[in-house]
Amino acid sequence: MEKLENELTGKIALVTGGTKGIGKAIADRLLEAGANVIVIARNHPGDENLKHHFISADLTISSETDKLVKEISEKFGTIDILVNNMGGSNSPSGGFAVLSDEDWERDLQLNLQSSVRIDRAILPQMVAKKSGVIVHISSITGALPVYESLGAYAVAKGALNNYSKSLSKEFTPQGIRVAAVSPGMVRTDTMDNYLQSLSDTMGITVEQATQNLMSSLGGVPMGRMALPEEIAELVGFLVSPRASYITGVNYIIDGGANPSV
Amino acid sequence: MDKQTEQLNGKIALVTGGTKGIGKAIANKLSSAGATVIVTARKPSEEKSEHHFIAADLTNSDDIVKLTRQLSNEFGTPDILINNVGGTSSPAGGFQMLSDEDWNKDIELNLLASIRLDKAIIPQMLEKKSGAVIHISSLNGKIPLYQSNFSYGVMKSALNAYSKTLANEVAKNGIRVNTVSPGMVRTTAMETFLKGFAESIGKTVEEAAQQIMDGLGGVPLNRLAEPEEIANMVAFLVSDDAGYITGANMLVDGGTYPAV
Repeated sequence: MEKLENELTGKIALVTGGTKGIGKAIADRLLEAGANVIVIARNHPGDENLKHHFISADLTISSETDKLVKEISEKFGTIDILVNNMGGSNSPSGGFAVLSDEDWERDLQLNLQSSVRIDRAILPQMVAKKSGVIVHISSITGALPVYESLGAYAVAKGALNNYSKSLSKEFTPQGIRVAAVSPGMVRTDTMDNYLQSLSDTMGITVEQATQNLMSSLGGVPMGRMALPEEIAELVGFLVSPRASYITGVNYIIDGGANPSV
Repeated sequence: MDKQTEQLNGKIALVTGGTKGIGKAIANKLSSAGATVIVTARKPSEEKSEHHFIAADLTNSDDIVKLTRQLSNEFGTPDILINNVGGTSSPAGGFQMLSDEDWNKDIELNLLASIRLDKAIIPQMLEKKSGAVIHISSLNGKIPLYQSNFSYGVMKSALNAYSKTLANEVAKNGIRVNTVSPGMVRTTAMETFLKGFAESIGKTVEEAAQQIMDGLGGVPLNRLAEPEEIANMVAFLVSDDAGYITGANMLVDGGTYPAV
C-alpha cells in the first residue's frame, strides 16, 4: 500500500466553505495528503499561518463564479479535486408555514445552485484532461427530513443528492468521478454555538441539549456526534486513487442514525 | 496527525473465503496495512500465502466451533472480522428453475454462515468493547436480477438488512458493523465465467463482459472493478479513519446502481 501521506501530491484541490467546520477539516486533510489546497469563503479566517490559498468570494452570487474559476485557473492550473462543501441555513424553525420565499431561495442558492455553478465552471477543464473528482457534501437530512427545523435545507440537500447522481452518470464515462457524502450531526464550532444557545434558552446542560438533538433524529446508535476530522477522512479516501472504482455514490457517515437499510 | 501505511498494526483480522478473489485481495491489503491476518476457506490455496490459514466450511456449525476455538488459542480475539464468504451455484433461468435445495444452499452460504460466525466472534468483541465487522454483500442485493443470481440477490438483500440491524444493536458497545456492496469484479471466478459465457455466445471475452454490463443497465465507469478496489474500501472501513461509520452499506460499483 502506498504511503497515504503522499497520495495527493501534485494534485490541486478546491474546497468551498473551507475556512471552518467540516470544510476546514477537509482542506487540512487534503493538504496533509500532499495536495495544493485552495479554499473559498466569503471572509478570511484571520489565520496568518494559513497553509491553504485563500480566495474570497460569495458563491451565492452567480456573477462571481466564472470570474473566480478563471482567476484560479490562471494562478494554479487545472483543478483535479473539487469539494463542494459550502452549505447551511439561516431559515427559521417551526415548520412549513414559517418559511418565506426568501428562505427557500437562500437555502437553494447556498446548498444547490452554488455547487451547480461551480461544477459547471470547472467541469470543462476536467473533461479536457479526462480526469477529476468532485465531491458534494450533502447531509443526512437529505434522506431523513426533519420538518421542525431545516425543512428547506433538507429539501435542497435531497435535490443535491439527485443532482450529484445525475452528474456522475453524465461525466463518469468521461473519466470524472462524482460522489456525495452525507454526514449526520457533526461537532463543528457552529454546532457547539447552537448547542450552547439551546442549553441557555432551555436551562439544560450542553450534554442534555446534545442528547435532545440526537433524539430528534430518532437517536444515534453510536451515541455521539461526529468530529469534523471524521468526515474529512472519508472525503480524503474518496478523492484518492484508493477510490478509483467509486462514483455515483452517496456515502452516509452518521454513526448509524439513518434508520433504513 | 501521522498518516502511515501501518494503520492496522497490532490488529488481528479474520477474513472468510480469503484464499481467492475479493477475499484474497482484502487479506493482502489488511496485511500490508500491518494486521495479522487469518484466512479461512474450505481448502488451503495452492499458491504460497503469507497469511495464517484455518480450514473451515462455514455452512457447518461444528467447523465454526472449531475455528473459534483455534482462533482463541492461537491468536486471541479478532479486532476485525470480514465476512466475505458467499456465492451461488444455483442455475440460471428464473424463478421456476430454483429448487428448495438451491434456496437452502444460497441461504446457508450468503446469510447463515455470516450470522453464525458473528455470533461466535462478536461476544468476544463485546468484552473488549471494540471491533469492526464487515459483510461483503453485492450490488445484486439492491438490483435484483431474475435471469440469473435470483436467490443470491435475495440473500444479499437479507444480509444488508441483517448487517444494519446488528450495527444498531452493538454500536453503543464500541463495535462498528458495515456492509460493502461491490458491482462486477474481475476475479478469477469472473474471468472463468466470462470465458465460458463468451464461448457459449460466440463472442470475445470483452464483448461478453460488455453484454453483462449492459444487462445491469450499463456501468458508467465502463469496466469491471479489480478485487483490490474493493479491498481498498474494506481497509478504510475497518481502520480508525472510519470511526464514525457504522450501519452503512458502501456501494463500490463504478456508478452502476441507477437510483439516488
